Amino acid sequence: MRDENQLHAAVVELVALDNATIKYSTIQNWYPGDEEGRGGIYNFVTKRGKCLGKDSKISWTQVETGSAITWKYPGCILQGDNSIGEFYSVAVTNQRQQADTGTKMIHIGKNTRSTIVSKGISAGRGQNTYRGLVKILKGAEHARNYSQCDSMLIGDQCGAHTFPYIDVRNSTAIMEHEASTSKIGEDQIFYCKQRGLSAEDAVGMIVNGFCREVFKELPMEFAVEAQRLLGISLEGSVG
Amino acid sequence: MGERGRKHAMLEIKNLHASVEGREILRGVDLTVRAGEVHAIMGPNGSGKSTLAQVLGGHPAYTVAEGSVLFEGKDLLAMKPEDRAREGVFVAFQYPVAIRGITNAYFLRSAVNAIRKHRGEEELGPVEFMDRLEDKLRVIGWDSSYLSRPVNEGFSGGEKKRNEILQMAVLEPKLAILDETDSGLDIDALKTVAHTVDKLRRPDNATVLVTHYYRILTHIAPDFVHVLSDGRIVKSGGKDLALELEEKGYDWIREGAAVA
Ligand SMILES: Nc1ncnc2c1ncn2[C@@H]1O[C@H](COP(=O)(O)OP(=O)(O)O)[C@@H](O)[C@H]1O
Ligand SMILES: [Mg+2]
Repeated sequence: MRDENQLHAAVVELVALDNATIKYSTIQNWYPGDEEGRGGIYNFVTKRGKCLGKDSKISWTQVETGSAITWKYPGCILQGDNSIGEFYSVAVTNQRQQADTGTKMIHIGKNTRSTIVSKGISAGRGQNTYRGLVKILKGAEHARNYSQCDSMLIGDQCGAHTFPYIDVRNSTAIMEHEASTSKIGEDQIFYCKQRGLSAEDAVGMIVNGFCREVFKELPMEFAVEAQRLLGISLEGSVG
Repeated sequence: MGERGRKHAMLEIKNLHASVEGREILRGVDLTVRAGEVHAIMGPNGSGKSTLAQVLGGHPAYTVAEGSVLFEGKDLLAMKPEDRAREGVFVAFQYPVAIRGITNAYFLRSAVNAIRKHRGEEELGPVEFMDRLEDKLRVIGWDSSYLSRPVNEGFSGGEKKRNEILQMAVLEPKLAILDETDSGLDIDALKTVAHTVDKLRRPDNATVLVTHYYRILTHIAPDFVHVLSDGRIVKSGGKDLALELEEKGYDWIREGAAVA
């Protein structure tokens, strides 16, 4: 017997010159495989961006709900002075899915700023990993980074893992890192049900609220689609 | 009580035993509530008042070992929590939870629409819903800024209680069980909440007020007062009983119960 999996290996490169802004939004819902983890897409993607010009900005937003395995680390090289890099991510794993995703923010220029907001939701036997690097080079005077990595667990057979690497070579840098892991609460679900919502709508609402900071970065139509997809991938995760 | 006898029961609890984490908390509760009535349930801390509210709502942490609960003649305990809510049972929680990232307005509209759908009514759009909400907000003394805040997140204790009452006003349940909604409120907030509850009284709905304090009962006169002690209703009476409890505390009842 042999397993069937398809490979998706895309490469995306962005370059932003002086004063340019690029916003790149992705919603991914490839086939995740069946309940036992047979089949599904291997989603191995290279995405990198270079803020080459002064005052340039690159913003990555991603919603990953599909694929058997996702490996993906959209990054920004912040070379131009005052340039900005952003990474907003929602990754959902259910059944046997695995997502290993995060970002690299390389600060080279002066006054460069980066923001990282990552939301990982694990259900079923899903595994979710945030893996990220923030690197402040010697010449990056007054660089700033804000990172927030939140994980939510639904059920007791899933996992969340966080590997934030921080490498600072300039003492004027200001770094903020926040991380949280929470289990979706029985009391929260019950509260919603007591107001008439079904189990599925309750979970959908709580998870969507959890992802709010990322969804608000998406274009309107995308945000609606993302919420819908989230509901679909979490179907059957709570009784 | 001739009139009472004629009206059939909205809620009929018989010999209810319930436990949590293997410990029996309710040990044979009997209670009958008819449409139009207000019942106060009082009793010392830990006597099982919240447990009763949670069991009626259908919280999964509590198991019922014995007894029955009929709501409008239907077996309430056999119904899923969301169906109990849709049929008109509302619990205002002693400790309401927060839901981050979801606005009060969205939450309320989702709840209203889930219930409307259950009744075969058309769902309300955001604009239509807001129109209907305005009156209710005014009654509890809130401006619309509370609607765009996440559900109970960063709310003070008193604001959470008020939010429960707003939900009740919007959902218009048949049976409202208010679990210590009066605790932690200052005098003005208490008046507003009591006034709202009183305003919502109708001949076809009923209220069960779980409370620690006499003071809310000066605003909402109960038809019946019950004392829950150690998982049982050990004494029932009219509203004078509440005043007696205020003066004498609970010990005399517990002793009396032990003798009897
Ligand atoms: N979820 C729970 N887990 C464990 N013990 C509980 C739980 N809920 C209630 N209890 C226990 O049950 C008893 C009654 O509590 P409760 O119903 O909250 O009383 P009251 O509301 O009258 O103060 C207490 O001893 C309390 O510790
Ligand atoms: Mg209580």
